Amino acid sequence: MKTFLTLWRKELAAYFLSPIAYVVMIFFLVVFGFSFWLLVSVLVQGPAGVSVMQELFGSLFFWITLLVAAPVLTMRLFTEEKTSGTLETLMTAPVTDTEVVLAKYFGALGFYLILWLPTVAYAVVLRAFSPLTASVDLGPMLGGYLGALLVGAFYLSVGVFCSSLASNQIMAAISCFAGIGVVFFAGFMAFLARSDAARDAFAYISSVSHMLDFARGLVDTRPIILYVTLTAFMLFAAVKVIESRRWK
Amino acid sequence: MIRVSHLTKRFAGCVAVDDVSFTIERGEVVGFLGVNGAGKTTTLRILSCYLPATSGSAAVAGYDVFRDSLEVRRRIGYLPENAPLYPEMRVDEYLQFRARLKGVPAAQCRRHLPEVKDRCGLKDSGRRIIGQLSRGYRQRVGLADCLVHEPELLILDEPTLGLDPAQVIQVRELIKELARRHTILLSTHILSEVDATCQRVLIIHEGRIVASDTPEQLRERLHAGARTVVELSGPPEEMPRRLESLPDVHSVRLEKEDGAWRRYVIEGAHGTDVRPAVFELAALNNWRLRELRQDKNTLEEVFVSLTSPAPEGDRP
Repeated sequence: MKTFLTLWRKELAAYFLSPIAYVVMIFFLVVFGFSFWLLVSVLVQGPAGVSVMQELFGSLFFWITLLVAAPVLTMRLFTEEKTSGTLETLMTAPVTDTEVVLAKYFGALGFYLILWLPTVAYAVVLRAFSPLTASVDLGPMLGGYLGALLVGAFYLSVGVFCSSLASNQIMAAISCFAGIGVVFFAGFMAFLARSDAARDAFAYISSVSHMLDFARGLVDTRPIILYVTLTAFMLFAAVKVIESRRWK
Repeated sequence: MIRVSHLTKRFAGCVAVDDVSFTIERGEVVGFLGVNGAGKTTTLRILSCYLPATSGSAAVAGYDVFRDSLEVRRRIGYLPENAPLYPEMRVDEYLQFRARLKGVPAAQCRRHLPEVKDRCGLKDSGRRIIGQLSRGYRQRVGLADCLVHEPELLILDEPTLGLDPAQVIQVRELIKELARRHTILLSTHILSEVDATCQRVLIIHEGRIVASDTPEQLRERLHAGARTVVELSGPPEEMPRRLESLPDVHSVRLEKEDGAWRRYVIEGAHGTDVRPAVFELAALNNWRLRELRQDKNTLEEVFVSLTSPAPEGDRP
């Protein structure tokens, strides 16, 4: 546990020492700021048809940001250590492969949560300035954040896995983007599927509808289980990849 | 300290280490010598638990490198080739991170780190960013990292690679100083380095250990004292003839003429010393003598003869 915390602290700190993290942060905040401005400009025209949080957590902006941020945040985790050779110093220290993978993953997750932190201000502003009738409920807000955490946690775990496989950052980023893109667009296949079974299956993994549910304050355990197990599986696979140099 | 038996490592299509066995006792400083690609780094990586062996076994301090990998890693300080470091960290940050990673308690870390930095010549560099350090300083940080947890064994892969001559001397001095407290296994392809720092040499060639001895004995094993160089001034036709007639002398070759002086290289029988006889001959004939010495084989010659594909006739 001590080793894990040491590694985790280093990984989280590494984000703040690299320019790419600040670029992602700026990108994230600009897009979300714009999305919030758009939302407010709709709200001033009177009560809107959709829930406020659905607009914030289910919008195109949310998905674009997430699909771009996850590969960029995770691409360097293992590839950088491989190219600079520090993986050798790291793995010859008394640390287990699992500790290294988890520390890197939770470092990325920690930075992801920090990305979201400023957006709490939007919710506070909305609550403070909107009339009581159009006010923001706490339930949808917490649901929205929970959804963002679950989907983000899964996307980042795909990124960790791709980074453990790839030999350079660009390959890691592109394969992660492709991976989470496939999962993301699979949800839309529900509209195209011919058979009912396929439609149900695609609907079950549709991240977009999961997020809309969460942002409505509807916390279903099925998507929670789905994302937690997918995340755990991707991390398990990453550990095996790192371990593989021992049996290759 | 290190016990390696029948270690083999195969990569796809090639055998990097081929049935290697050796032992290193506690307190020894051993040089692992070989040309590039001989299998040095692979062997060291197996010993430091980075790579597994294909077959055979290796144990460090009684722990198997594969089964008790964590125990082994706690006991070694491993400096990979080129001393890879995190460029974005500061020297102090990095060393503290590594110390914590290796399980050094915080209190001991506070006491011990300044001392380690001092020994590695990093006393005033704690605040500097690693990415901005010169090659020599990076190497020192790498060495300091090896020492933070006071390991019993240091494994250094090419510790002087890419350093300038002054830095090479500094690193060698440091290694000699470290040898008092630690067992050291260092790899190199530079022969003078082994001469300067090691008590014992393991020569590896194409994945096999071809020699294991002290640098002096390795030199002696190859025609010990067999070659004598003499510079004489006397009758040029008579001198080589008379020299050749001495006992134990195989051949006499004129190497250089310098006015009246002639330099001869005398090849003698294995394990003999012809110098007294040469002196007496010169004195008897009133030849003038200005140099008489035994030519020690350099380690380079030993190395070439051990690793050359066709064995020479006088190879022991």
